[in-house]
Amino acid sequence: MTDGLEFSGLTKRYGSATVLSNVSLHLRPGRVHGLMGENGAGKSTLIKLIAGVVPADAMTLRKDGAEIAVTSPADAAAAGFRIIHQELNLVPQLSVAENILLGQPLPRRLGVLVDWPELARRAEAALAELGIDKIDVWQQAGSLGLGDRMLVKIAAALVSHKGEVAPCLYVLDEPTAALAEAEAEKLFSVIARLKARGAAILYVSHRLNEVMRLCDDVSVLRNGQNVMTAEVGHTSRAEIILQMTGRDVADGYPARSARVAGGEVCRVVAVSSPKLRDLDFILHPGEILGICGLDGAGQTEVLRLFLGLERPKSGQVLLQSSPAPRSPAEAWARGVAYVPRERRSEGLMMRMGTRPNALLPHHAGVWARLAPERTWANDLSGQVGLKSAGPEQSVWRLSGGNQQKVVFARALAGNPRLLLLDEPTRGVDVGAKFEIYKLMRDLSDQGCAILLASSDLPELLGMADRVLVLQGGRQSAILDPAGMAPNDLLHALYPATEMS
Amino acid sequence: MIAYLRQFGTLLGLLVIVVFFAVQLPGTFLTARNLINVSQQISMLAVVAFAMTVVMVMNDFDLSVGSTASLAGVLAAVLFAQGFPVWVGVSAALGIGLVGGVLNGVLVAYLGILPFVATLGTLTVFSGFAFFISGGATIFGRDIPKPFADFSRQGIPLDWLGLAEVKLPYLSLVAVLVLLIVWVLLEHTSYGRRLYAIGGNIEAAHLAGVRVRRLRLSAFAVTGFGAAVAGLMYASRVASANPTQGAGLMLDAIAAVFLGMTMGKEGEPRVLATLVGVLILGILDNGLTQMQVDSYVREMLVGTIVIAAVATSSLGRRG
Repeated sequence: MTDGLEFSGLTKRYGSATVLSNVSLHLRPGRVHGLMGENGAGKSTLIKLIAGVVPADAMTLRKDGAEIAVTSPADAAAAGFRIIHQELNLVPQLSVAENILLGQPLPRRLGVLVDWPELARRAEAALAELGIDKIDVWQQAGSLGLGDRMLVKIAAALVSHKGEVAPCLYVLDEPTAALAEAEAEKLFSVIARLKARGAAILYVSHRLNEVMRLCDDVSVLRNGQNVMTAEVGHTSRAEIILQMTGRDVADGYPARSARVAGGEVCRVVAVSSPKLRDLDFILHPGEILGICGLDGAGQTEVLRLFLGLERPKSGQVLLQSSPAPRSPAEAWARGVAYVPRERRSEGLMMRMGTRPNALLPHHAGVWARLAPERTWANDLSGQVGLKSAGPEQSVWRLSGGNQQKVVFARALAGNPRLLLLDEPTRGVDVGAKFEIYKLMRDLSDQGCAILLASSDLPELLGMADRVLVLQGGRQSAILDPAGMAPNDLLHALYPATEMS
Repeated sequence: MIAYLRQFGTLLGLLVIVVFFAVQLPGTFLTARNLINVSQQISMLAVVAFAMTVVMVMNDFDLSVGSTASLAGVLAAVLFAQGFPVWVGVSAALGIGLVGGVLNGVLVAYLGILPFVATLGTLTVFSGFAFFISGGATIFGRDIPKPFADFSRQGIPLDWLGLAEVKLPYLSLVAVLVLLIVWVLLEHTSYGRRLYAIGGNIEAAHLAGVRVRRLRLSAFAVTGFGAAVAGLMYASRVASANPTQGAGLMLDAIAAVFLGMTMGKEGEPRVLATLVGVLILGILDNGLTQMQVDSYVREMLVGTIVIAAVATSSLGRRG
């Protein structure tokens, strides 16, 4: 008899397309199992099968040696599976406590009245089990940062009905996709606790560094097949990347080929705004200035200074020696391009094609003609390496990486002189990520200045010429990334008082 | 196959309706005279529905079109009754439509009030204003100048087509003109591209440099203007004006746009599809009247068809 969960023969077809083919996974208690793969490799489908959301064409599941069946979400819950999905689906208007106990019978008094103190006690107990004591359970869930929301969701997954099987498997789907490094750290310590409680953890992530650090075992999916399962200690980053992409991607970033030119594209002089303080920098043509900080330290606001969406209270923001644009429309017209943080809600019209999405800021004059627009959209698609079924295919049908390429196509189309990037590779698979780095490098080589806000520290070190560090909205330093390790940068994010 | 049925199901429905009436009403339905008549009957609804499409492209709504139409008709008639020439009455009516539309636009785009709430409010205001200036009475008879009333009774002779006994009514011609204008506006201008972008994702459009507030304001103005045109057409056709005569237009116009939206690739409104929606509603109305079906039954039928069309198209979508 083997212990833990053995999934074997997982197969799923949609029509003629085989999305998963005979995949086997052995998830052992007290171990974190990383699952990696590019977008479209079958990770989401695998999670859906395990969660009982989608019926498998074939799946055998043994729990501690005994065969069980999971064909519905209720089965999955009864088997002790807890799935924490990628989207943070908390109810923002309700309190943290209510969110944690959502979907369960609330504790009652006299049969009808909600026993609020008991509710709070249970929620606090759930959080305490994860070693979290800083979250007020009466707070509205909507007022929490993204990291804390994730922790609340895990706490909610932890709480189980009386008499139900104890959780034996946690599935975390891209849990750090939206988190800054420091919040990810909190999450990791929570995962360590879950692990210590003897649960198996399936950790699905794009982030190689995390998987290398956090996981005991790792499996790689490619085209619906399990192409590799190994103990993390017995493999290497290069090996995993090779297996994920099926090709050899150097573990590096495209090198700069042109030197940063003289002159300036934009200048920020002693700027303070509602969310920013003491901002002071000059950006030269072709230069990439990285911006980093803990979640909500003002990264997005720095970019928005150039879109007229964050207004300085004092100081000056200049673009090409004239006052900064006062609206996104003016910004685009003056050669600023913006890749927003939230691709779905701020970036794309999901139900429209590549053509309208990419060309939107670039319509000039009164008349719009379809044929030239299509040609242009096709050219842009080629430039960014977009894989789609043509310029009219709705972008919601594209993978995350390809959607991000559509946003880049929009930025590229105007030959920008200043490119504002907010987490440009979030939720993008490794292959697409490196293509995006290449696009950035090409633009910068052509003299486009880039502001790159990112929580991916290796990315900042690999791409940026200088890195601006924000602490609670204040510019604390501008660092030279040469010779720096991600850890050094991480330390710089914390205020000096918290260091000791 | 299912995808095609979904997209063209509504068009198929129109064909089925036409065939049904052609069989049920032999010799009267599929005649040039009747079809020309249908085109005149639906012309007002068509104009309102085309104008409504402009705001619905942005995911917005205008519930006030019906009362804007009434108000425009009443205002023109009141001015006629006081002896002003036709051009003054007509310009004032179109002007008030424009002003009403701008007001809706300000409320929705600049004050951020939900279109449903804002235009529900202005619906009541415009309607009240129409009652106020007309004293609640119908203005008719000698108060309506002959040239104004005659406009809807005349048309272009069609004897060059071998149809000596009928004319293409000016009202139908106005509807075709409005269709053409809205079609060019939505499908062939940068303006239209931006409106669709707003409908696709208003926040993304804003961040991509679309001047969202300005455009929403202008689109509501276009819709208000269109509603006023329809109100004038109505007043001319019945040679009278009263403060409630446009009331029925709003729901039918929205229904027509919804019927049309079932034909969009991703459920987006297109003005040519709105035309199909208008034709379905108009032909049903015409045919059922000729078959002497009770008008209450007709209403139930129209409502059922709208729900059935929208339901089938959303069933097949994105399952």
